Amino acid sequence: MNTTGRFGNPWVQYQRMILDESVAAAGRMARLPTLFQRAQRVKKGVSPSEVVYEEDRIKLLHYVSEAKPRHHTPLVFIYALVNRPYILDLKKGRSVVASFVEQGFDTYLVDWGVPTSADRHLTLDDYVNGYMLNVMDYLRERTGVDSLNVLGYCMGGTMSAMFTALHPHRVKNLILLAAPIDFATSDGLLNLWTRPENFDVDKFVDAFGNCPGEFLQAGFQLLRPVGNLLEKPMNFFEHLHEDKFLEDFLTTETWLNDNIPVPGEVYREFVKYLYQQNLLTQNRMPVGKHIVNLQNITCPVLNIMGGQDDLVPCSQGTPFTDLVGSTDRKTILLKDSGHIGLAIGGRAQKEVWPQACQWLAQRSGQKAAE
Amino acid sequence: MSDNSDQKGDQAAAFQKIWTESMSKLMQTAFTFGPESAPPEVLRQIRTGMFQALAQSWEEFMRSPQFLEGMKQWMDSAVGFRKMSNDFLAKARNEMQAPSREDIDSVMLSVRHMEKRILDRVEELSAQVRELKQGGPAAQGERPVPARAPIGEKNSPRNAKKRAP
Repeated sequence: MNTTGRFGNPWVQYQRMILDESVAAAGRMARLPTLFQRAQRVKKGVSPSEVVYEEDRIKLLHYVSEAKPRHHTPLVFIYALVNRPYILDLKKGRSVVASFVEQGFDTYLVDWGVPTSADRHLTLDDYVNGYMLNVMDYLRERTGVDSLNVLGYCMGGTMSAMFTALHPHRVKNLILLAAPIDFATSDGLLNLWTRPENFDVDKFVDAFGNCPGEFLQAGFQLLRPVGNLLEKPMNFFEHLHEDKFLEDFLTTETWLNDNIPVPGEVYREFVKYLYQQNLLTQNRMPVGKHIVNLQNITCPVLNIMGGQDDLVPCSQGTPFTDLVGSTDRKTILLKDSGHIGLAIGGRAQKEVWPQACQWLAQRSGQKAAE
Repeated sequence: MSDNSDQKGDQAAAFQKIWTESMSKLMQTAFTFGPESAPPEVLRQIRTGMFQALAQSWEEFMRSPQFLEGMKQWMDSAVGFRKMSNDFLAKARNEMQAPSREDIDSVMLSVRHMEKRILDRVEELSAQVRELKQGGPAAQGERPVPARAPIGEKNSPRNAKKRAP
């Protein structure tokens, strides 16, 4: 009887595997006592920045670079109201912000801050026609340009699209990154779970005020229960002895668990008008006393999506380029990437962001030499 | 009563179905490898296969009407409990003559309504002034269109702190 097979004697290999595993397990155990300290040392945002504008809880960060900006139009990152914005500047070599700063863009980021119970009445109107408008006007005054480049991520992308439609002259180029626009699809579980027959958002907001960060986090975890609750912990334990893996894991997990609440009224509007009534694609989305018409967006638009995104499935973002009035529009789809992978994934850093920087550079004008 | 027990029965059946399907998929994955395969590779592939099978079953389960019904019931209970605790705390604070969350909320709402009315009025006035300056529709007797302040005229930012460039 042949017991060696294509890979050699399986019993020898089993014994070798047990030995290797024992050595690795010893390495893992040695890591455990310092794990907490390492997690505490994780930096939240790596590129040097300064706060240039503050209003209520929001802060506008300006990324400082030794080299002078080469492009005439500054770029503003608009992050979602869920979680913290440092995912866009997570670590060296995995920072979307740094990609643009290195390419010579004068780069800014809006940090919405952490809302308290007193902010539960803030609406999308306050964010889009209030804070965003004030930030953009401040930047126009500061930099002396009429319109700015805007990059919106996730919910920040939806808000950026609304802002651009309501204030088209203030935006020169618009980039959306994994931004939900068409909510009619049932590809994503969130779309199914938030249907009016399954979720009474009015009752929820009336009882809780702000939408708790933990509630949102639990929902996101449930989108991939096996991946998040089984595969991830096992993967973590398996690679605990690898420095590079551990550093990446702790950095990402620190961000993932850094949850913040969403102002109650914004959450109500987002769920009711978008998830339940899909008003944005019908050009009937109310923001304060204004109605958002996506056809008003006539600037160049770049829509970036991940093919494996559970949170914002492709079908939710793809229709955007067909709904706007722009003639200069482009879509980049990274098939193997998920929602966070678009920002911090190795492939996104190699393939998406150089392309996006080039696209924006071609449309931002060169800065005159001083 | 019977509707309720039917519903519970459906939920239990759906839960049982997901586990039966998962187990059968897991078994199929586990027995696709022969004794000649290399051990570490086999174990890794079996594990990946098992996770994929589990993920598929769970995805189906989380789309099932039974799960959605269960989730709705859980949410209703959570909201009910929160309301109860809000009411209890409000009563306790009122008894101690301290402001409750509801009191603060109603003050906040009044302030926001006032703010909205003032901002709307300021916007209308600034639009009228702008149009008067330009000799636009307002000057020709047309109704002014409310608009936001242009660059230079601040949009009434609250607590704004600017840093010099």
